[in-house]
Amino acid sequence: MVMKNPKLAQGTRRKLVPLQVLVPVVSTVIALGIGLLIIAATGASVVEAIEAFWDGMAGSDFNIGASINRAISLALVGLGFIFASRANLTNVGGEGQIAMGGMFATAAALHGAGGLPLGLAFIVPLAVGTVAGAVWGGLAGFLKAARGTNEVISTLLLSFIALPLVYWSVESFHLLRKPISDVSSLPESAEIPDSTKLPLLFPDNGSPLHIGLLIAAIAVVVVWLVLKHSTLGLRLRAVGLNATASRRAGMRTSFYVILAMTVSGGLGGLGGAIMILGQQFYLTSDFSSGYGFDGLVVGLLSRGSAVGVVIGALLFGFLRSGSINMEISAHVPSAVVLICQGLIVIVIAASALLTNRTVTR
Amino acid sequence: MALLELSGLTKRFGAFTALDDISLLIERGEVHCLLGENGAGKSTLCNLVFGVHRPDAGTMTLGGEPFDPRGPAEALQRGVVMVHQHFSLVPNMTVAENLMLGRASAVLKPQDIIVRMEQLAAEYGLEIDPEARIDELSVGERQRVEIIKCLLGDPQLLVLDEPTAVLQPDEIDALLAICRQVALRGKSVILVTHKLGEISRVADRTTVLRQGRIIETVAMEGADIRSLVRSMVGRDVQSAGSVLAAAVDIEGKTPAKSSSVGPTSPGEAVLQISDLVYRDPHGVPRLDGLSLTVGTGEIVGIAGVEGNGQSELGLILAGLAAPSAGAIVVGGTQVTGCTPQEITDAGVGIVPEDRHAVACIKELSVAENLYLGAIGKFSRFGLLDKSARRKAAETMMRDFDVRASSPDVSMASLSGGNQQKAVLARELSLDPLVFLLAAQPTRGLDVGAIEAVYNRIRAARDDGLGVLLISSELEELMAVSDRIAVIYRGKLVGELAAGSFSREAIGAMMSGHAHV
Amino acid sequence: MIDEHMPVFIGSGLRLAVPIIFAATGEMLSERAGVLNLSLDGMMLMSAFTAALASWATGSPLIGVAAGVLVATAVAGAQAVLSVTLRANQLVVGIGFNILALGSTTFLYREIFGPLSRDPIPGFAQLNLPWLVHIPVIGPALANQTGLAYVSILMVVVTWLILKYTSFGLAVRAVGEDPRAADKAGISVARTRYLGVLYAGILAGLGGAFMSVADSNTFTENMTKGAGYLAITAVIFGGWNPWYTLAACLLFGFATALQFLVPALQLDVPVALLLLLPYLLALVAIAGFVGKSRQPSALTIPFERGG
Repeated sequence: MVMKNPKLAQGTRRKLVPLQVLVPVVSTVIALGIGLLIIAATGASVVEAIEAFWDGMAGSDFNIGASINRAISLALVGLGFIFASRANLTNVGGEGQIAMGGMFATAAALHGAGGLPLGLAFIVPLAVGTVAGAVWGGLAGFLKAARGTNEVISTLLLSFIALPLVYWSVESFHLLRKPISDVSSLPESAEIPDSTKLPLLFPDNGSPLHIGLLIAAIAVVVVWLVLKHSTLGLRLRAVGLNATASRRAGMRTSFYVILAMTVSGGLGGLGGAIMILGQQFYLTSDFSSGYGFDGLVVGLLSRGSAVGVVIGALLFGFLRSGSINMEISAHVPSAVVLICQGLIVIVIAASALLTNRTVTR
Repeated sequence: MALLELSGLTKRFGAFTALDDISLLIERGEVHCLLGENGAGKSTLCNLVFGVHRPDAGTMTLGGEPFDPRGPAEALQRGVVMVHQHFSLVPNMTVAENLMLGRASAVLKPQDIIVRMEQLAAEYGLEIDPEARIDELSVGERQRVEIIKCLLGDPQLLVLDEPTAVLQPDEIDALLAICRQVALRGKSVILVTHKLGEISRVADRTTVLRQGRIIETVAMEGADIRSLVRSMVGRDVQSAGSVLAAAVDIEGKTPAKSSSVGPTSPGEAVLQISDLVYRDPHGVPRLDGLSLTVGTGEIVGIAGVEGNGQSELGLILAGLAAPSAGAIVVGGTQVTGCTPQEITDAGVGIVPEDRHAVACIKELSVAENLYLGAIGKFSRFGLLDKSARRKAAETMMRDFDVRASSPDVSMASLSGGNQQKAVLARELSLDPLVFLLAAQPTRGLDVGAIEAVYNRIRAARDDGLGVLLISSELEELMAVSDRIAVIYRGKLVGELAAGSFSREAIGAMMSGHAHV
Repeated sequence: MIDEHMPVFIGSGLRLAVPIIFAATGEMLSERAGVLNLSLDGMMLMSAFTAALASWATGSPLIGVAAGVLVATAVAGAQAVLSVTLRANQLVVGIGFNILALGSTTFLYREIFGPLSRDPIPGFAQLNLPWLVHIPVIGPALANQTGLAYVSILMVVVTWLILKYTSFGLAVRAVGEDPRAADKAGISVARTRYLGVLYAGILAGLGGAFMSVADSNTFTENMTKGAGYLAITAVIFGGWNPWYTLAACLLFGFATALQFLVPALQLDVPVALLLLLPYLLALVAIAGFVGKSRQPSALTIPFERGG
């Protein structure tokens, strides 16, 4: 049966809140500690490695900007993950949604958007990329609502369908592959026109930081408002917790399942579009490599909180930048960071029993 | 020497004490009935004996040896078998496969099982096709498989947890006969039930449980059924009023109507159901041409053995299942096959049978549950106005006596009675509202909450609502209804007006014998 | 022209299918018991690396295979502890292990072999079975396989026998379909699921080891390239049936091999479309548009005993 004493129940709930913060923090610290131990075990100088790591993360305006730019896309994918999980849906297809977003944004930028006025030159490709990701996520939502297909399996499969599509688009001359020139004929798209690149925030000091930061900040606030304080957020939560009771209360559960996955995918698609328009400027077959799963990890770490997503995305954005420099300068393989990430995910998943303990029974 | 001895068994779930200091002897060769209302602790007791749960205190001995099963596997090893309230058969496997499950032998030997099944068929008359798949069998056949499964290993103790709730009368007869035969062979049977008729037919001794405690254990020879009922219900006459008046009247006389009986002449029809047919996803007909009218200002009770279509009727009225044929009209509006929202808009309030699955979302707060169907009511530009909602919820909680420390605590932290009061509050506050369906509205509630629910239902009737009360508790129906219709195999087979309720007549109709 | 390419195509199709057959067959059994191991790819990658390392260090590919299987089984054991005992989200745990496997194998590979190592490691020789060679068209391709390739088919037969004729197999099916009923029949749900996951680990280990010591005689970073996911896809597409799963693996193997055949035949079919074909087929299958492949009811759902 249930607890009879509401005060007791409330007390238990209050105690759970710090645990939800504590677990990700502790597991991150432990994982990073293990990372350091591994570095030490290789015989490399830990101090040198950390210095190179720090330098790569934040050694210059350029590095800081690059790290934050990485964090922007991770944050968008992470926001998408928590949006879907509000409706009790697990979107593990961030990789595919990024890929679709990036691919369609590139197509829009190369074919037509370049000449548009008033910033539409980059806004239109961003929108096109968002829609592409939304369609890709919404497809999984539709399959869930209409056919009962497990969204974890479908988003995963959709990712593995999206990646070859990107490969196809940069392999094929009548799609996005740039024409063969005498310089090179790599399978990649042509560079997008300058007008479609995202404007830099600080063009004077050499920082690559672009307005994607503002877009991500707006997305964070909007997602936070919707999930915590809106009627839509409450409906998503109700549908996710108990579809039958929600249906009885007059909600169209299929609609909310599709909507949650569409928005989730759209955020991933926007993240992919920003990667191309803000940083990479041309499409390659593996441009999204690892971002989807990193974004998923960010979403997991945040435990459903938009603020948590921001922290997690910054952590991973800086980790990635740092690890790349560590490999170049201190000759420590960047894969150490992957090991840390894997450990973080595993420890957090393992502690779910601890943090999700409910009061009932 | 007794086969099974329980001493001082106690089991708690969180703050709820399901069993409190239970001591009991089960003799060899006896059929021992456990009698008690819903929530009295019968199932928990069985689950302790079968190792599904472990006691928080107390000990058991089996055949004189200490007995502390850590799981069903260990209980089975010691010769204790159990037929559960919900079948535990794997639906997409065959009968023979289910019977082989959990038997020690590395390689499957279907032939051995078939031979053993033939023996049991000869011994007890339990026949069934070993190659049939479970999901193709009827409920009665599935239960036969459960019993065969239990008897395969030649057990010492057979535990049956409310085995008759889902059975047709002839199937019940067969089952009770098997119980006697098992006991005749020197084995012991524990039979859980809340049906008095079964007890007097099969039990050697009966133990009455109430609120987790043993009230009495009596030998059935020459026992007074009335006193058993009194022990089982145990309600204070003053506080429970008509509930007890109805419950103790097992001889079949009409209970004295209390002053709260409403208008004698119901008004125009608010609910008209005509020729309703419903087939479940397997094509089995669950409702078979049911027709019913409920007028304004009357409470119509639906009586019936569970599994005769009541649940399906409730789901269809709630908009959670679409009828295969027939029509439902509420206050002049066609609502056949409409969505839940359209049904609500037509003025229908629903207190569903399964509170946790359908009526509320236990993880959400009380306020959120009170306005689950009107989330947009307290919002500006799509953002929730939580303080306005909290104020409105507080008012509603006061009006309906929903006791919680605040509207913001989770629904799960409320007692069952307060949860049900919250559901009633929400449904009775709908506007418009012309009709209320209350399906098993007091299941699992304590006495105080039961009275509160009855009073709410009666007050709704007095306000002019039409009320349909679906219940498996005959006493409840006789105490609250103005009219009782009996459902049997998906149709109404008879009807009794207030003042002519007779336990015998209703019971006969419930078991399929035509109304005389 | 087709004639000269055919034996090569069939040979490479089979070789590409073998690791998937191993992994999918084990995974099928584990999923029938209700545990989905998204970590399959990680198990294979760990095994591929360990097998390469052990084979290189000892000179014996057999020891390599044993070491690979051991490591993959250890990963499976960890997956089982987390998803069965601790009831963690099976999918999230799986993704975690895959990231960890990619990170640790890449790291160790660079530390031990150095970034540019291309030295072949000791591997198995092809058997060249004389009595198979003479079958027309497919004969040479069938005969020129390493012993492990034949073991993969053997494992399909073994798995089928287990599921159909042993009480362990019956328990596996019951636990994946209705764990509560199985529990009440006296079966240990946890034990059955542990064994299922470990079985998946052993077979994934064989599949991973095949990649490094039997197929390519080398290890490369992220050499599984998602073969584990492909194996899970094959299980879905094969409808959780051993023979259909085998057929799905062969189909996927040949679909992948087509990407070498198509350019050789100078056909204008985008290779990318061949790469996504298996996943598209699986998506269509689980969406229920083809046949009635129904997943085990309790797949990915942790079991907790209740009243």
